[in-house]
Amino acid sequence: MAAPPRHSTMLSISNGGTPQSGPNDKQTQQQAQTLPQSPGLRVPSNRKTIYDRHLNRSRNAELSRASFAYLFGEMVTYAQRRVTGIQDLEKRLNEQGYPLGLRLLDLLFYRSTSTSSSALSSSSTSSSPPNRPLRIITLLHLIHGPLWRLLFGRSADALEHSVSPDTPNEYMITDNDPLVNTYISVPREMSMLNCAAFVAGIIEGVCDGCGFETKVSAHNQPTEMWPSRTVFLVRFGDSVMEREKVLERSGVK
Amino acid sequence: MVVYSFYIFDRHGKNPIFIAITQLTVSSGMHLQTPLATAPGLHLRSTDDDSKLVFGTVFSLRNMVRKLGGDDDRALLSFVSFTTSQYKLHYYETPTNTKFVMLTDLKSPSMRIALQQIYINLFVEYVVKNPLSPTEHTGGVGVNNELFEQSLEQFVL
Amino acid sequence: MSANKTSRIGEETRVDKVNAELVTLTYGTIVAQLCQDYDSDYQEVNKQLDKMGYNIGMRLIEDFLAKSGVGRCANFKETADMIAKVGFKIFLNVTPTVTNWASDNNQFSLIFEDNPLADFVELPDDGRAQDELWFSNILCGVLRGSLEMVQMQIEAHFVSDVLRGDETTEMRVSLVRYIEDEMPPEEE
Repeated sequence: MAAPPRHSTMLSISNGGTPQSGPNDKQTQQQAQTLPQSPGLRVPSNRKTIYDRHLNRSRNAELSRASFAYLFGEMVTYAQRRVTGIQDLEKRLNEQGYPLGLRLLDLLFYRSTSTSSSALSSSSTSSSPPNRPLRIITLLHLIHGPLWRLLFGRSADALEHSVSPDTPNEYMITDNDPLVNTYISVPREMSMLNCAAFVAGIIEGVCDGCGFETKVSAHNQPTEMWPSRTVFLVRFGDSVMEREKVLERSGVK
Repeated sequence: MVVYSFYIFDRHGKNPIFIAITQLTVSSGMHLQTPLATAPGLHLRSTDDDSKLVFGTVFSLRNMVRKLGGDDDRALLSFVSFTTSQYKLHYYETPTNTKFVMLTDLKSPSMRIALQQIYINLFVEYVVKNPLSPTEHTGGVGVNNELFEQSLEQFVL
Repeated sequence: MSANKTSRIGEETRVDKVNAELVTLTYGTIVAQLCQDYDSDYQEVNKQLDKMGYNIGMRLIEDFLAKSGVGRCANFKETADMIAKVGFKIFLNVTPTVTNWASDNNQFSLIFEDNPLADFVELPDDGRAQDELWFSNILCGVLRGSLEMVQMQIEAHFVSDVLRGDETTEMRVSLVRYIEDEMPPEEE
């Protein structure tokens, strides 16, 4: 079976997209978003729709961590039934995280502009409202800081650049104790598995949404103190690296 | 205090979903899943037979307690332990019929709170919430869960 | 147990928290993935969601009992109250209204004022989703699974959903029977 287009999952629910027509470029999606009231949808007369709620309503809302664990658990179980191996499972989890990344990116930008400064300060280099990051480092800071705080209530634990001259396109984001793995005890025979592949997918979605072609994978790097320490390996594509050089030369930050 | 063995049965009860049989003292450390018991005069043999026996016993006892005492919460909670000349059996059952059984030496204090804590802090957190553990441990699929075993070891010691 | 006492357990039970949007969006991707995997066969998606919920329920009930410390309910009315005021409060931070009792006290409705699972949701405008998909159907399965673990066989389904353009979001829950204990294996 051919891999489904990445954006199609997003369209099937909630953005007013039509899954049948299968549009998978962002252009179509943008249009769908600018037409909030699709004429075909019924709405309750008391107007309880997403358009009548403030987008920041759930900003500081919290829910039970167990509820997340159960949902995530079912996601893993469901994915497990449809795959052949660990790599396949991680790929699927990654695919499920991807659309989340795209959406969170919008949410992050929206919130950072509406609150003028604080949330995105690390990534905004000018006094104007923060824009889409153009450089790799700005993007990675956005992930390491604001994205992690939005999702997990704290920044990631480390951000590093590959020291090898052969792989200048590789960066590492480390989480000492990933929330998604809190309740997961991986059996020995599956020791390679890291369900944080889901989070890797989220990162990939954020990068892609910013126009940075990337592959992100999650790897177990346990230490004595942090048994579920996970490193997210971010590998940028050639086009990104080339653009990075051009931007560097022209002094874009 | 010495713990001789520890069992968890799910609501189906047919097979224990977790067994630890060992002679375990503070000094000797705990070796889970080690089929060995050396209490004087106490014969804990093949885990299979014993666990059936243990389950049958607690099941009957709890039913008797309930029948005589009325089928309400207090009756459900009233079977706490029994003692023989060689060991003490501690029992804790949740409303989902998950049963925790521990055999200890006679000097042991009541383990009711301990069993409850094992349920709340270890079983629920590490086994129930682990998506890689099956929802139902049918057919004797054990808990086989490192996080749970490690923390149980720490907890019991 | 008095209704007040039940609400107090719901309010006072401490639970670890996580960002609500992470939960909402994660649930969204689950439903979206199912819609994709089953080619927008919404009946099948409903069924799968119910199945997932059932699996969750069987686990969640243990957590519920451990956290809240409550015991067995005396009757189905008490169960309904416990579900609404403690269960939903702990796990979704909402308290649906229990209402529309059938005369035999074996059937009631839960009306949801808020539903965090559907916070960012609009159903696809394909002319079918609003008639066929029950977006939050996982909740029916959760109730079915968790009550089965405490010896109650129930049936639950949504009868209306604001996402479908209805005025309210309502779930109907019926008690089928109380389940007897399973007997231990035969002794040889």
